[in-house]
Amino acid sequence: MWAIIKKEVKSYFYSPVGYIFIGAFLLLSSVFFNMFLKNQGIVEYTGLFMYGAELLTFSIAFLTMGMFATERKNGTEMLLFTSSKSMTSIVLGKFLAALVVIVVTEILSLLYYAIFCYFAGGLIEVVPTLVMLGGFLLLSLVYISFGGFMSSLTENQIISAIATVVLLVATWFLPNITEVLVMLSPIYAFQNFLNGVVSISDTIVLLSQFLLFTLLTITVLQRRRNLK
Amino acid sequence: MIKVENVTKKYGGYVAVKDVSFKIKDGEIVGFLGPNGAGKTTTMNMITGFIEPSSGSIEVEGYDISTKPRKAKKSIGYMPETTPMYQDLTPREFISYVAELKGVPRKKRKEEVQKILKEVNVEDVQNKLIRNLSRGYKQRVSLAGALVGNPKVLILDEPTVGLDPKQVIQFRNLIKELGKEHTVILSSHILSEISQICEKVIIINKGKIVAIDTPSNLEGKVKEENIFLVTIEDPENKIKEVVKQMKRAKGVQLMKELADGTKQYGITSINDADIRKEIFETFAREGITIFELKQSETTLEEAFINLIDSDKIENLNKEEKKEESKEKKNEVKQEIKKVDNDNNSKKSKKKKNKGGKK
Repeated sequence: MWAIIKKEVKSYFYSPVGYIFIGAFLLLSSVFFNMFLKNQGIVEYTGLFMYGAELLTFSIAFLTMGMFATERKNGTEMLLFTSSKSMTSIVLGKFLAALVVIVVTEILSLLYYAIFCYFAGGLIEVVPTLVMLGGFLLLSLVYISFGGFMSSLTENQIISAIATVVLLVATWFLPNITEVLVMLSPIYAFQNFLNGVVSISDTIVLLSQFLLFTLLTITVLQRRRNLK
Repeated sequence: MIKVENVTKKYGGYVAVKDVSFKIKDGEIVGFLGPNGAGKTTTMNMITGFIEPSSGSIEVEGYDISTKPRKAKKSIGYMPETTPMYQDLTPREFISYVAELKGVPRKKRKEEVQKILKEVNVEDVQNKLIRNLSRGYKQRVSLAGALVGNPKVLILDEPTVGLDPKQVIQFRNLIKELGKEHTVILSSHILSEISQICEKVIIINKGKIVAIDTPSNLEGKVKEENIFLVTIEDPENKIKEVVKQMKRAKGVQLMKELADGTKQYGITSINDADIRKEIFETFAREGITIFELKQSETTLEEAFINLIDSDKIENLNKEEKKEESKEKKNEVKQEIKKVDNDNNSKKSKKKKNKGGKK
């Protein structure tokens, strides 16, 4: 699995993909930062990530759209699937590599946190911040696994990207239909983390969503070997 | 060792590979031969575990590819026909990635990659991006990918397609060299290549195995008579009489007339005897000048075409038989109908009669 993570992280940063993702994310976060400060005269580091989560819904497809689609299109999946690596380690390797890009983004975003600390004259709200960052990683994992699943269904990156964004945005509105569907909306499960609260049930919801899409991706890739 | 038993691959209703079985021993170089769409690549993809057979079993080095895929795949190096590679990597990066995928230990990796870059002769482009390499280099990098980790079994799908003649020769020599240490399966539709490199040939057509044998045996099977080709200058046109004098010659026929006034004849011998010496001596005595004398060779090409054609003929025969049997069935059916109709009409007449009586 380590080999795949390494190679995938490399290819995120050898190509412009990683830089564009991180750059766009931070640029828009800065815009929000500036806007809040001017309009409301108040801004919080965790508050930035409330918008960050929405931003992620739109931008995650940029990282995941090619995950399996390009491998299939270029035929390089042949190399992966004839290697002695198991399907699970291939899929998890790719997901974790995308998570590395998110971690890099989070680390760079600590610059905002540093600004707050500078004006507060010391470290502020360390635990809630860490909880929020952890929650954001969980949310990212769910989104990555969903985007990866979409990418495994097609060899066209654009289709996979559009399907990912449209369906993920649709999950925002699930709770509006009926209360029960709150369980299926990752962004709702993230709300408590934003307030610095570790909620076991939300953690379980996010983790099970991640597991579900990982399993679905593995199943799709395995199944295609029989159909090919 | 590779054991393929009753393997079938179906795509919906279409059967790509049908009930294929064969065994390949350690250290053999085996050629996989067949026209386009015969099922060569499908069979190879199944052996490498890239696709799953619909039924049947495949064992590589004692491990079943479906139930113990990781162990089986460890002993396979595969060079696919399309030479898929990550275009944004350099050959060195690509090969070390493949080495990592195959589980070459970190300590040995650098050394192993260097050795293989040298072996396939791509050292001078090792730091260029793969997308910028020429077809020949790409082919070699792809082969390097198959070689890395020193797998026991090498599966090469049309490895020489798209190479220039010099590269083809280099490639063949390389494969021959590799065959000393590895079991090699090689597919190709270039027959001379197979007959040069391979010890055993598997001919496949329409998803079925038509023949498994050594190239020379296959050639021998097709060869019906010993024909000697002789190019001569024969101004008096007395060759037919001369050949009649020869005890062991059966007949002669004109093959072609050449531009320089010489003619090429084919002389057949009795009991496949080698009569070159006799031809030479007799012709010299009779004042016929020989420009060229050789024994005609049947090639693998002829064997191949013969086998594929006979396969076709068999299929045609089967179809004809089917049609015949269909016709027969139809005839029988029609007869039955006739009888039925007769009976019915009789019955209805009876009924009518009955009705009348009532």
